[in-house]
Amino acid sequence: MATDADDGTGTDTEPVTDGGTLTGGETGTSHGHERTGNAVVNWMENLSEAAYAYLLLLPAFALLTLIAFYPMIRTFVMSLRANQTRGLDPLGGFVGLENYIDILTGNARLARQFLDVGLTSSFPFIELGTPFFQQALFVTLAFAVISVVVETVIGFGQAYVLDQEFTGRRWVRVAIILPWAVPIVIQGMIFFLLFQPTVGFGSDLMQSLGIFSGTPLANSQDAFIIILVADIWKSSAFMALLILAGLQSVDRSLYDVARVAGASPWQRFKLITLPLVMPALLVAMLFRTMDAMRVYGLIESTAGCTTVPSLSCLVVEAMFGGTRIYATAAAVAFATALVIGLIIGVYVLLFRDTDGGMY
Amino acid sequence: MSDPTDSTEPPTDTDSSDTDRNDGSDGQPRDPTLRRPDGGAVLEDDRDADLDRGPFQQWVSDAISHPERVYRAMFYVAAIFFLFTTLFPFYWLLMVALTPEGQLQDIVFTPNGFNPGAFVEVFQVIPFHIYMFNSFVIALASTVVVLVIASLAGYAFGRLEFPGRTPLMLLVLVISFFPPAAFFIPLNDLFNTSFAFLRPITGDGTLYNTPFALVTPLSAIFMPLAIFILTTFYSQIPDGLEDAARVEGTTRLGALFRVIIPLSAPGVATAGVLTFIAVYNEFFFSFLMTDGQPENWAPILDGILAYQGQYQVLYNLMAAASILGVIPVAILVVIAQEKIVSGLTAGALKE
Repeated sequence: MATDADDGTGTDTEPVTDGGTLTGGETGTSHGHERTGNAVVNWMENLSEAAYAYLLLLPAFALLTLIAFYPMIRTFVMSLRANQTRGLDPLGGFVGLENYIDILTGNARLARQFLDVGLTSSFPFIELGTPFFQQALFVTLAFAVISVVVETVIGFGQAYVLDQEFTGRRWVRVAIILPWAVPIVIQGMIFFLLFQPTVGFGSDLMQSLGIFSGTPLANSQDAFIIILVADIWKSSAFMALLILAGLQSVDRSLYDVARVAGASPWQRFKLITLPLVMPALLVAMLFRTMDAMRVYGLIESTAGCTTVPSLSCLVVEAMFGGTRIYATAAAVAFATALVIGLIIGVYVLLFRDTDGGMY
Repeated sequence: MSDPTDSTEPPTDTDSSDTDRNDGSDGQPRDPTLRRPDGGAVLEDDRDADLDRGPFQQWVSDAISHPERVYRAMFYVAAIFFLFTTLFPFYWLLMVALTPEGQLQDIVFTPNGFNPGAFVEVFQVIPFHIYMFNSFVIALASTVVVLVIASLAGYAFGRLEFPGRTPLMLLVLVISFFPPAAFFIPLNDLFNTSFAFLRPITGDGTLYNTPFALVTPLSAIFMPLAIFILTTFYSQIPDGLEDAARVEGTTRLGALFRVIIPLSAPGVATAGVLTFIAVYNEFFFSFLMTDGQPENWAPILDGILAYQGQYQVLYNLMAAASILGVIPVAILVVIAQEKIVSGLTAGALKE
């Protein structure tokens, strides 16, 4: 790809001369802007492959620096300073890790106290008095773990269905992908309406089964379940597609061998399908876990952040909750990133293990 | 479930039974002895010892003797179950939208009345079309930005050798995992800072309430996936084609835009469709980077939430607005489902 043509001669005019030959310099007209264009083109042509690669990566990394790297560092720096609720500068002096200690021990003053006493008594892992960062951490982790596990199971089911040959397979696939493509706000709206006692039948149904209370969207436990169901409805398809890709990469003759050897369907699943699908499955689970860890929109558009606090909810509440506690918000935001970084680490370790086990 | 004696059967026997029964798609292990016309196998005696069994037992014994039928039945049950669970919420939403206001009780399978006017009312109560227009502009602009920048990066990652290639790719990947909340606070500051040179354009000199406040972060957040997809596609173009173009006198960038990208058109389309859907569906920045007013580039999200937040609870209009908001992505899914599937798998499994 880097076979340097003769473009370095300096007389070549347009970068895109069709049928331009090796002789170069066909057109004699040289306007000012063309000359500068030439200079840029020539400079680019003479770059080494590595330098050219870095040049091409420059816009992408400039954008990522502006939107991701710089804000991350800035968030960390902000989190090390004190809250200053009055005055021009919202941040006070350097306080070290105090904000982190405060959010973990519950000393941080969040604008709005999460969770009413009456509503929380039934929620298993949330009690009033527990620092709200821990509450949000529990809610977020529980949400991530449960939703990813259930989505994996359902994803396997959907992938098996899509793996079969049948007429209308294309449309079944459309139907299964469709929830994945629904905007988060509409996903939230659907489940908000389903469990809104005046419209939806969901709350009546669940109440008659004795699972939900009369106002499920205002009850932390019920709302948590609703949000779980909504997420599973939307995201199982993503899991299914990645598992399907894994399934289709499995050599079919392995199953024939197993059949001849008398393996039961469960044995075939456990000993052939699962190990071979595992790499794809782990990637899918990693993506889904990351997604579930940053859940915000679904909560905001159904039950609201006060009923089911997630980590992202906490950041937004701390930012816009009324009092200016930017440093606390930054600490929560950076702690969220740390938790996610930790989970990525665990997955990477798992991933390495399966690779080592397979080959 | 399969009979252990299967493996002891002579192979010729199994083969012949396979040829006369090839309807079972999954080719489950079968018990050839049961299909012999004379039924003289030892096994069958064992199973049909008492013939006066009830229908359920009959069914069970059928199931044991023809596992492939059970699998087929299970498959249909599963397929119908998944179809129902994924599609029913949309159907129900339509029923709610069609029900006149005031009768919105106990809607399950049929609407209480028929009021298609809700789909017109949606645009009258609030300017929903402006929200939709804003969403389209923001999603399209982000898609263009992402495709251009990710094409350059994808070319570098996919076709060039340079030191630090793998670490830089990992860096891009890691960025796509972090929560928007971790980037949000400084960005919110940045977009609310007044810049003198922007004053003639935006009035107060800030980017808040402009499309830039959405397009920039959303492009950055969804760029990693596009980079991975395009890296995969670009790396598959044979070197010879690019070399030929270079010998013909095309510049380096010319080779990228006139050879590599056209040849990778399916990959570019895939990345474009996925980015469009992702931006259109995003919540966090879309919710927080504008004040929710249609004239301030608030996307469709604020249009839908406007119905939730108002003093009057217009549930049927909420449902109608939601359906209208789903239609664009639903069309994309129907048209481009192959691209979505290949893009998601290629992008995610590229790692």
